[in-house]
Amino acid sequence: MAQKALGAEVAVRSAPYFPRQKKRISSRSIGIIVFLSICALFFCIPLYVVVITSFKTMEQIRQGAMFSLPSVWTLEAWDHAWNSACSGINCNGLKVGFWNSVQILFPSLILSIAISMITGYALALWNVRWAGGFLFLLFICAFVPFQIIMFPLISMTAAIKVYGNIWGVAIVHAVLAMPVLTLIFRNYYKDIPQEIMNAAVMDSGSFWKIFTEIILPMSGNILIVVLIMQITSIWNDYLIGVTFGGMGSQPMTVNLANLITISTGTTRYNDNMAAALQTAIPPLVIYFFVGKLFVQGITAGAIKG
Amino acid sequence: MAFRWSRWSPQLALVPAVAVTAVAFVGAIGWTIYLSLTRSRRLPEYEIDWSEPLRQYTRLFADDAWAISLKNLIILGLGSALAIVFGFILAAMMDKEKRGESLFRTVFLYPLAVSLIVTGTAWRWLFNPELGVEHALHSIGLTWINFSWLATGETAMYGVILASVWQSSGFYMALMLAGLKSINSEIWSAARLDGVSLFRLYTEIIIPMMKFTFVTCAILLSLGVIKAYDVIVAMTNGGPGQSTFVPAYFTIQALSAKGNLGFASAAAVMMLVITAVIFLPLVMLTAWQQRRTGRAAH
Repeated sequence: MAQKALGAEVAVRSAPYFPRQKKRISSRSIGIIVFLSICALFFCIPLYVVVITSFKTMEQIRQGAMFSLPSVWTLEAWDHAWNSACSGINCNGLKVGFWNSVQILFPSLILSIAISMITGYALALWNVRWAGGFLFLLFICAFVPFQIIMFPLISMTAAIKVYGNIWGVAIVHAVLAMPVLTLIFRNYYKDIPQEIMNAAVMDSGSFWKIFTEIILPMSGNILIVVLIMQITSIWNDYLIGVTFGGMGSQPMTVNLANLITISTGTTRYNDNMAAALQTAIPPLVIYFFVGKLFVQGITAGAIKG
Repeated sequence: MAFRWSRWSPQLALVPAVAVTAVAFVGAIGWTIYLSLTRSRRLPEYEIDWSEPLRQYTRLFADDAWAISLKNLIILGLGSALAIVFGFILAAMMDKEKRGESLFRTVFLYPLAVSLIVTGTAWRWLFNPELGVEHALHSIGLTWINFSWLATGETAMYGVILASVWQSSGFYMALMLAGLKSINSEIWSAARLDGVSLFRLYTEIIIPMMKFTFVTCAILLSLGVIKAYDVIVAMTNGGPGQSTFVPAYFTIQALSAKGNLGFASAAAVMMLVITAVIFLPLVMLTAWQQRRTGRAAH
C-alpha cells in the first residue's frame, strides 16, 4: 500500500511540476523506436527497390544484385517508359495514359462532387420526408460490389454513346462515388445550426441561393478532404478504366498493367519500375504535401459517419 | 423544418441522385439477377428457361475455378487479417511513444496513396524468381530461403497476402490509433498504480474497450477482400494456372474473356450475397451504436 501511495505521489509530482525537465529515454522507448524503425524499413523496401531499379541499366539488373545502387545512374528507363513503352499494340509510352488520366480526372471530379454535394445538402438541411430511407439505400449502395452492376452499366453507357471514351469513364466514376460522397457531405452539413438555416430562409433565401451564398462558403474543409480523396481514388482506379475506357481512353494504371502483364520478348524491368513510379508520383506528391487531409479522407470514406 | 414556399426545390435537386440510385444501382442489380437466370452467352437473352432457372448457379458450383476462388477468398481474408493485428501493434506502440510519430505515420501510410496496380508491380518484381529478393538472399548464402512465392500455385496466394498486408496495415494503424486516443488517459495511470502488467492491460482492458474499432476494421477488411481485383491482375493475373483466382477476378474473367454473360451474372450475384452476409452485422452494429449515442444524448 505504502509503495503504491508513494508511486502515485512521484507520478503526480514528476508530471506537472517539472514539465521542462529533460526526460531520459527509457529502455522501453528505445525498444519501441527500434521496433517501429524496423517496421518502417519493411514499408520502405519496395519503394527503395522500385526507385533504384528504375535508374539502372538492364545489364546491371541481369547481374541480379537487386538491392545495390545503380552503378551508372541513367534516365533511359524513365524516358523509355514515358515515350515508347508498349500497352497492347500501341507503343507510345505512358504519356498517353497520363493525359487520358488527366482528362478523366477533371470531369469525374466535377460530376461526382457536384451531384453528391447538392444531394447531401438537400438531405441534411431541407425537409425531405423520405430522406431517412434514401440515406439507408445509399448506405447499402456504397458497399455493392462493382461486378453486380458492371454489365448493366456497360449497356447503359453504350446506349448513351459514351462507352469507350473519356466521358464514359468519368460518368461511371461519378455514379460509383455518389453514395459515399453524399453520405460524407450529408454528415458534414447536418451539424450546421438550425438558427443559421432559419435566418437564411427568413432572409428570403431560396434553396439555390442558400446553397451558393451560405453553404458553399462553409464547405471549404470538407471540400478539400473530399477532393483529395477523389483525386487519389480516380487516379489509382484500374477496374473502371479498363472496363469503360475502350481502346483509346485508357487511364495510366491500365497502361501500366498492360506493360507489366503482356510482355513481348524480354521484360525490361527498369522500364516497368519507371512506369510504376510515374503512375504513383501524382498521388504520392499529394500525400506528402497534405498527408493529414489524405488520412482524414480515407477514414471518412471508410467509416462514413 | 417545414419551409413550405420552397418545398419543391430540394425535391427537384434530389432528382439526379434518386435517378442514379434507381437506375445504376437498384435497376442494374435487378438486371444482373435476371440475367443470371437466363441462358445468355455473349449477348443478353431475356428468356428464362423455367424448367431449369438456376442452371447457371448449378454450373457455377460445379466449376473448379469457382471453388478455387472461394477457397482463395477465405485464405486472403484470414491472411489479410494480419494487417489488423499488425496495425494494432503499430498503433499501440505509436500511442505509447510520441517521438517520431508523424514520421512513422507518414511511412506506414504511404502505400495507401498509390494504386494497387503499382503495389502489385513492385511486389511482382520483389518476388521475381530469377532476379528478385530470393536471388539476393541466395547470393549472400541464405540458400535455404524460398521467396519466389508467385512462381508456384501453392504459395502464390501468400505473395498476394504479403502485398495486401503491406498496402493496408497503415490504414488499420490509423483507425486503431484514433481508437486508442479516444480511450480515457486515466486508465493508463490507474493501471500503473494497480500494478497491472502491460500485457494484461491490453488484453483485458484496452482491446475489449476497442471492440467497435476492431469490428469496424474486420468488416472493412472483408469488404475489401471481396473487391480484391487490381492486386491480383498486377501480381499474378490469376496464375499460375488458376491458383490465385478470387471471386472478383473470376467474375470479370467469365464476362470479358469467356464472354459468358449468364454465368458471370450468377457469379456476381454470389458476390453480392457474400457482401450482404458481411454487411448485415455492420448495419446492425451501426443501428445499435446510433441507439446508444441517441440514448446518451437524451
